Amino acid sequence: MEYAVELRGITKRFGSNVANKQVDLKIRSGSIHGLLGENGAGKSTLMNVLYGLYKPEEGEIYLRGERHVIDSPLKAMELGIGMVHQHFMLARPLTVAENIMVGTKSKRGPLLDTRRVMREIQEVSDRYHLDVDPAIKIEALSVGQQQRVEILSAIYQGADILILDEPTAVLTPQEVQELFVILRKMREDGKSVILITHKLDEIMEIVDEISVLRDGEYVGSRVMGPDVTKDELTQMMVGREVLFDFSDAGTLTEPGKVKVALRDVHAKNTCGVEALRGISLELHEGEILGLAGVDGNGQKELAEVLTGLAKVSEGEMLYNEKPIQNRRPIDYINDKIAHVPEDRQTTGIAMNFSIKNNLIIKNHGAKRFKKGPVINYDVVNAYAEELMEQYHVKATGRNEIIKNLSGGNQQKIVLARELADEPEFLIASHPTRGLDIGASEYVRGQILAQRNKGVAVLLISADLEEILQLSDRIAVIYDGRITGILPRGASAEEIGYLMLDNQKKEAPHGNQEKEKSRV
Amino acid sequence: MATKKKKNLAYKLDKGLSRLLPALGTIALALLVGGIIIAISGNNPLEAYAQMFKGAFGSKSRISETLVKTVPLMLLALGVSVAFRSQIWNIGADGQFTIGAIFAICVTLYLPGENIFILLLSFVAAFVGGALWGGLSGFLKAKFNANEVITTLMLNYVAQYLLAYLIRGPLMDPNGGNNPQSASIPEAYRLPRFVSNLRVNYGIFIGLAVLIFIYYFWRSAYGYKLKLVGASNTVAKYAGLKVSGIVLFTMVLSGGIAGIAGWTEVFGAQYRLLDNISSGYGNLAIVVALLGNLRPIDIGIASFFFAALMSGGNAMQRMTEVPYSVVDIIQGLIIVFVICRTVGQSNGWKQWIAARRNARKAVTAGAAEEDGGEEDNG
Amino acid sequence: MIQQIFTTTFFASVLGSAIRLATPILATSLGEIYTQRSGVMNLGLEGTMLMGALAGFLGCYFSGSLALGVLCGMAAGVLMSTVMAFLSVTMKANQVIAGTALTILGSGLAAFIYRSVFGLQKSPPQVENFRALPIPGLSKIPFFGDVLFNHNLLVYIIFALVPITWFVLEKTVLGLRIKMVGEHPRAADSKGISVAGVRYTAVMIGGAYAGLAGAYLTIAYMNSFTDNIVSGRGYIALAVVIFSHWKPSLAMWGSLLFGFANALQIRLQALGAPIPNQFLLMLPYVITIVVLVGVSKKAEFPSAYTQPYSRMER
Repeated sequence: MEYAVELRGITKRFGSNVANKQVDLKIRSGSIHGLLGENGAGKSTLMNVLYGLYKPEEGEIYLRGERHVIDSPLKAMELGIGMVHQHFMLARPLTVAENIMVGTKSKRGPLLDTRRVMREIQEVSDRYHLDVDPAIKIEALSVGQQQRVEILSAIYQGADILILDEPTAVLTPQEVQELFVILRKMREDGKSVILITHKLDEIMEIVDEISVLRDGEYVGSRVMGPDVTKDELTQMMVGREVLFDFSDAGTLTEPGKVKVALRDVHAKNTCGVEALRGISLELHEGEILGLAGVDGNGQKELAEVLTGLAKVSEGEMLYNEKPIQNRRPIDYINDKIAHVPEDRQTTGIAMNFSIKNNLIIKNHGAKRFKKGPVINYDVVNAYAEELMEQYHVKATGRNEIIKNLSGGNQQKIVLARELADEPEFLIASHPTRGLDIGASEYVRGQILAQRNKGVAVLLISADLEEILQLSDRIAVIYDGRITGILPRGASAEEIGYLMLDNQKKEAPHGNQEKEKSRV
Repeated sequence: MATKKKKNLAYKLDKGLSRLLPALGTIALALLVGGIIIAISGNNPLEAYAQMFKGAFGSKSRISETLVKTVPLMLLALGVSVAFRSQIWNIGADGQFTIGAIFAICVTLYLPGENIFILLLSFVAAFVGGALWGGLSGFLKAKFNANEVITTLMLNYVAQYLLAYLIRGPLMDPNGGNNPQSASIPEAYRLPRFVSNLRVNYGIFIGLAVLIFIYYFWRSAYGYKLKLVGASNTVAKYAGLKVSGIVLFTMVLSGGIAGIAGWTEVFGAQYRLLDNISSGYGNLAIVVALLGNLRPIDIGIASFFFAALMSGGNAMQRMTEVPYSVVDIIQGLIIVFVICRTVGQSNGWKQWIAARRNARKAVTAGAAEEDGGEEDNG
Repeated sequence: MIQQIFTTTFFASVLGSAIRLATPILATSLGEIYTQRSGVMNLGLEGTMLMGALAGFLGCYFSGSLALGVLCGMAAGVLMSTVMAFLSVTMKANQVIAGTALTILGSGLAAFIYRSVFGLQKSPPQVENFRALPIPGLSKIPFFGDVLFNHNLLVYIIFALVPITWFVLEKTVLGLRIKMVGEHPRAADSKGISVAGVRYTAVMIGGAYAGLAGAYLTIAYMNSFTDNIVSGRGYIALAVVIFSHWKPSLAMWGSLLFGFANALQIRLQALGAPIPNQFLLMLPYVITIVVLVGVSKKAEFPSAYTQPYSRMER
């Protein structure tokens, strides 16, 4: 049996952190191979090693039976390996052709060969039904289209081994199906595809074989067949029986009075496109309202208008029955609205600040932390130590720079800070994204505890399982509108149906026009 | 407990040393390379450096000259450091200095009477002038996202030409022959000297007062806000801060301090406006702020050292064949070496400093320190 | 006086002089366009130009060859900018700091070397500089001949760099790589392009252009070297780059604007016109600020402007 790729004993360290430990992996030619594992299991690192972006400390790489040293992406490409990253590697002001051309050798020496490349791109595009116009600038394309440009680019450069890093995370279900059509076509052509994912469901239907990584180690592989069950793979991935059951964790019998009410709220995103198109919601005290939906349907903007980070263009937001739209962010903080932001590392914490300084980013002006105009670090130190203990933060001390902490511990700091001043309304955006199981459970437990204390909680998550576990009611957002509100106990199918807005629309907001304009 | 105390003491000692030693090492290396260059040019580096040392510290009057140069340099570096800490790259200290000096002198020349209020008013005017000039860049950055490096640089030239125009036009000294200079300020306004024949004057106290102010400023809630904006605009916004307001404030403060530097130069040393009154201190202030880790006390020390280099350099040029430009070379090398000391660190001041501390953490395990702050609470 | 100003001879001489004054700014700003498109802001142009000026002068003085002088100037520019690239790309230093270092170091070194070579002299040593090279036929056209076609060779060469720079940036592999690295270094890296390599190249090209500009000052515009011969032209070039939205053709007009303001000021002063020339000199800087404000709103800066690239960090 010849393998397209064979990795033997790959070890990759980042400082003292071992990302891959003696990993072996075999990918059959002409197959679609799933690489499964939780966040931080070492999947992306392993594939970056294969793609020549990282140099492994130990281990060997064999391609089609031959040993190769891949020390740069260039080498990887020469050997027919292409990679589509999670964050697209496209320069927005440049055209599709320019973005693709930049990675290839020009036949005209130092001069660009734009016309020929455009023609060839068009050919590849037609062959794989990618529907990409080579002359258009990237900034005019939707996310799904950009992904197709990436795939096109890899194929154009002669890749017969294609690595896709979490390709479905940014796509609508329809786009996922379109992607699968393309991947199947590639398989027909004898190319090998590696899909990195931590979401089992989405790839079950397409992969031929699945390999599982856990904590940087290779756990095992399964050739897909009727005998392979989801449970088995999940257990391989997680390494123990799954998930703490929160379902009976102190459900309140009666939710309290209405804490937050949104009436027909409209808002634009940073690009000026209307991202919220008339949101109406009510949220009670002592209730978790889960907001389900595919990423990019207005969740981010909703959290932002509720915290003053974005403007409401139309409609009304009531908090304790008083209008609160379009005030300064500080006013929302003073009103005891806590916010666990979706992007922890760029919004939630200052990466180069110490733990204690991160804990006071919102309340450093409070009287108790000050001695005259000067911050009283004795008080701050005690405050930090107390919170760190309470939230079981693992760190060398309160002065440790926060970027040295693990994602889970960073998120604990965010939670500790947001919950310390006894909020009345908590907005938690993807609170467990990127955390391991243990940390996720801890964070979810904290959110439930808040609910039980009578806090109104808006839980925004793309993780349906999380939504189902924690929510008292579930609202579904699609294209900036609430497509339905379901009671606790609703099935995943019902929610999924609403997430697609049951009308089989093309793509999330703003993309339709662009689709048209390209045709 | 006992071990903890010991650790703490050792840590503090180490902390002091670890701040001083790299700086000394950097300086020593720059002097060494400078010495080699002098030797290549056919001169005796030891003699040159001896003359330089004598020129800076050799007599009361030499020390006085060194101190006179220290004051504006220190003030400008302190001003620059305020902006740099919040990641705003104010390279317009020269222009802010100039406008501060112009404002101050206008107050004394145009307001009637000679009294202490006018003197105080001129001080305020100098701050306001510098603050306006810096604040303009801050405003353009806050409002239009205009790159402050370019605007502060451009405003340097605008200030320079404005000064050139004023001292040849409306502010020209009527009794100064045809020299491009303003009338001098009344004698009563001159900053008192410690000794009548030495130029060193009470300007030093102003410099120290600003230094102490900045020291406590960084420990205040407002200083914290500046540092937070420096760490990340996004986080600052999320934390409820009005980033544009803080950017503006930062540039106002930074420019205002440069304006005060202009005031001390006029009222303590020059007594009038001249072309290029800022004498290019602005660029040096960046070096000093950098060598001083953007910390007020370190900046005080670094500015004294640089002033000594300059006054020593002048003497060296007079006494030996070695030209003053060696001092420029040494100053340039110092920055290069400071940068190289922080190999492999990515952009941003915070990271830069964090990296330097991380390197140190190996030695001081368990007793880390405040990030970017002055507080000693380890 | 007014009659003296409004004559074609006066205008022809002002415009011709404007072109000669614009030339060093143009060369430097064209080079800086490469540099900035790749994501690096070289604030050390002042020092780079001065070293170029010195090396150009020395090369010409000792060899007697103008061509060798030009080459020496460019080589010195490349050398200086290599230091800049090392600090900002390899060391990932803040570019403002690195540029300041380069400016101080360059001015110190140039002055020191000049003094060491020639010692203190009463009259500065001089070289036989580039002579005006009237283009046959064209230079005889009234007015335009004097303005456009009666310059030395370096002026023509540097203005020819405008279309060349455009061509390199828009039509060659190198140009595309420079833009890619400036817009999305991670993407460039993942496509097998050496981000550091491209940035070094772009910064060094910028250095060569700045060195050329420096050499122009000592062996074409003048015929001797002084410590302050560059006098802020490096910073002006930086302004022109912003002014031009990183486009070579606009950089030409920007340089001409600065050159014109300067030339007019010199001529008016020579005539003893009672106009405060400082405001004229100030004007281009003010215009640059205004233009910058316009550019910034539209976010036309290269995305990775002044951002060092590290593979390990997001």
